[in-house]
Amino acid sequence: MSDQLMKHFKGINRREFLVTGLGAGVVALVPRLAFSQGAEPYRIGVLLPTTGAGANYSERPIKGLPLIAAEINKRGGFLGKHPIELIFRDTQTKPDVGAREARSLILNEKVKTVIGAWSSAVAMAVQEIVHEYKVLHLAATSNSSKIVNENYTPYTFMFGPNSQMQSSATVVAVSKMIKEKGWKNYVTLGLDYEWGRDAQKVFVAELAKVSPETKLSKELWAKLGETDFTSYITAIMGLKPDFVFGAIAGKDNETFLQQAKAAGFFQRVVYPGVFLPVTELMQQRQTLPRGIFGLNRCPFFALMDKPLMKKYVELYQAKFGKDDFPDDFACMYFDSLNGLDQAITKAGTIATEAVRKAMTGATLDTCRGKLTFRDCNNQLDCASYLGEVVDVPEYPFPIFNPKTLIVVEGRDVWLPASCEDVRKIQKKRA
Amino acid sequence: MPTDWGSLLIQLFSGLSRAMMLFLVSSGLSLIFGVMNILNFAHATLWLLGGYITFSIYTLLAGYYGVSILLLAPAVVAATLALFAIGWAIERTLVRRMYGRELPEQLLLTFALILIIGDLIRLFWGVQNLRIVLPIEPMPVLGSFVNPYLFFIIAVGLIVAGLLWWFLARTRTGKIVRAAVYSRDMVSALGIRIPNIYALVFALGVAIAAFSAGVFLPIIPIGLGMDMDLIVQCFAVVVIGGFGSIVGTFVASLLVGIVYSFSILIWPDGALAIIFVILVAVLIWRPWGLFGTEMRF
Repeated sequence: MSDQLMKHFKGINRREFLVTGLGAGVVALVPRLAFSQGAEPYRIGVLLPTTGAGANYSERPIKGLPLIAAEINKRGGFLGKHPIELIFRDTQTKPDVGAREARSLILNEKVKTVIGAWSSAVAMAVQEIVHEYKVLHLAATSNSSKIVNENYTPYTFMFGPNSQMQSSATVVAVSKMIKEKGWKNYVTLGLDYEWGRDAQKVFVAELAKVSPETKLSKELWAKLGETDFTSYITAIMGLKPDFVFGAIAGKDNETFLQQAKAAGFFQRVVYPGVFLPVTELMQQRQTLPRGIFGLNRCPFFALMDKPLMKKYVELYQAKFGKDDFPDDFACMYFDSLNGLDQAITKAGTIATEAVRKAMTGATLDTCRGKLTFRDCNNQLDCASYLGEVVDVPEYPFPIFNPKTLIVVEGRDVWLPASCEDVRKIQKKRA
Repeated sequence: MPTDWGSLLIQLFSGLSRAMMLFLVSSGLSLIFGVMNILNFAHATLWLLGGYITFSIYTLLAGYYGVSILLLAPAVVAATLALFAIGWAIERTLVRRMYGRELPEQLLLTFALILIIGDLIRLFWGVQNLRIVLPIEPMPVLGSFVNPYLFFIIAVGLIVAGLLWWFLARTRTGKIVRAAVYSRDMVSALGIRIPNIYALVFALGVAIAAFSAGVFLPIIPIGLGMDMDLIVQCFAVVVIGGFGSIVGTFVASLLVGIVYSFSILIWPDGALAIIFVILVAVLIWRPWGLFGTEMRF
């Protein structure tokens, strides 16, 4: 199944895919025979979209996860005796499909953990299933704050900064610019779905606290999967705001940035805090406007001093070449699988309840350094990275200017600030 | 809301460019239903296929000659011809078996085509969005900037609309096609081979869609899933304009494109809703559409 999915990716040519797939399969298989004949494999379902708005972010996690699994399987798998088996499923970026696939993975494939999905709306649908069957859910990249707050289940762990943390981090950077430039009004443009609404709402609320004199003059919402932002772009330019806050991600973000550049948007409007994962820095290397101020969640180029990041970048490049780099999404998927390994080691068993307890409040070694889960909602205390897009000689694509990079730590901006308040808004589940 | 004329005019241009895309895709859909009584749900998927073929041909040419907007023309023409041939083949082998069948059967066939073509696209081109990157620089207009390619799109849309009108109103084949909308039995009784007319209409409709996908590639990327979104909007346009009426499709495209564009400026939350309010109003007031004919009901 994973093979069938993977070969469809344009970023992987067929020969590369076959070699990777066969290689990962062999490496995953050999320890099972050599170390632990008859030992129970540990099956993990991976939910990622290969179609729909989030498909462009799935390529590198799908390429990279088997490498991490193979690394762990070299020593026999989890606890040296439970080889990992990854089963990939396409969510099509649709909540109903994601929920259906999660149920199928749990009931038919007997997975013990589900990793994914990209869309927060899908992840929230999956949460209902994992809670019902008491299966671990590692929300590697889905990051609506509702996943860890309003829709909380103790089986879900979030490995990236949630939408509130990201928006609050953007507020930190934007409020600095407001003071410098004296901005008075702004417009927001968001994708009209769970994550976009959540990110916009927090940004507006947090900015009002630190800069009440800066007024929101218009809210614009584009549907998820919008392909023609022209009318939004011309409308914003006509409104002449001092700056624009965008809550756009995935293919839509790429489309918006390209259409905005051709329309002269960046010559007229300041657009700070746009979500710019490494994926887009690489994909849009030719067209991305330099000098804009972006945000990402796990930029390898700023984290090469972390031993795990260095190791995984080398591992990834050994397989896919020196021109390819793991993006934010691959990084957080790596951390999820690696974090699961550490939790199982700590628990000394693969029993789900024991692993869940071991992971709750745990400090993990990740690609972003040592990070701890907030024990009241399983939110990893991880940073958001904001910076100016610039070209550097070290990489064949633009990165965030290392000299002016702003790192906003998770615990400084997560909401609600106290665990007592978090518990008040969490869903009361049976 | 901005009150300066420059901003409003630029908003109008963006609405017109959206209208032209809707027209170019919807005209084929309208023609196919009007003449053949076939509801081609796969129309936007064939549009998508045309875009992918244009992309591949352009990329091949750009590899030899370097990036240039001029290379877009042969790529678009080749993809249009390819989709004309594919459309003809689909009509001759599959669609012709559906004439006279119930609507659910037509939907099943065209939906199957969506899945098959979608999987073929995934197999050959992958799942990444594709777009032709051209060095388009923003153009200063009335104190603001605008993408100059919008003007090109508007011009192309108007030219195609003119040519289509000329074909249907001034040529013998076009008159036969129009006659087939009203009474295919009478056309057949005159000794005209209706199957050939059907194949021509289907292939022409698909080719126009492929043409538009190619023309739009420098500003609108193509990707799997876009077809489903587009087909809903196209159906709205065709229902408002009237199935089988090219003039109706053109007017409805202008209406939908411009209303949508200004709704974003005035009432962004309701931009899509307004289009469907218009659709419902037309269905109540004139179920056959603004320019459709009552006789088909």
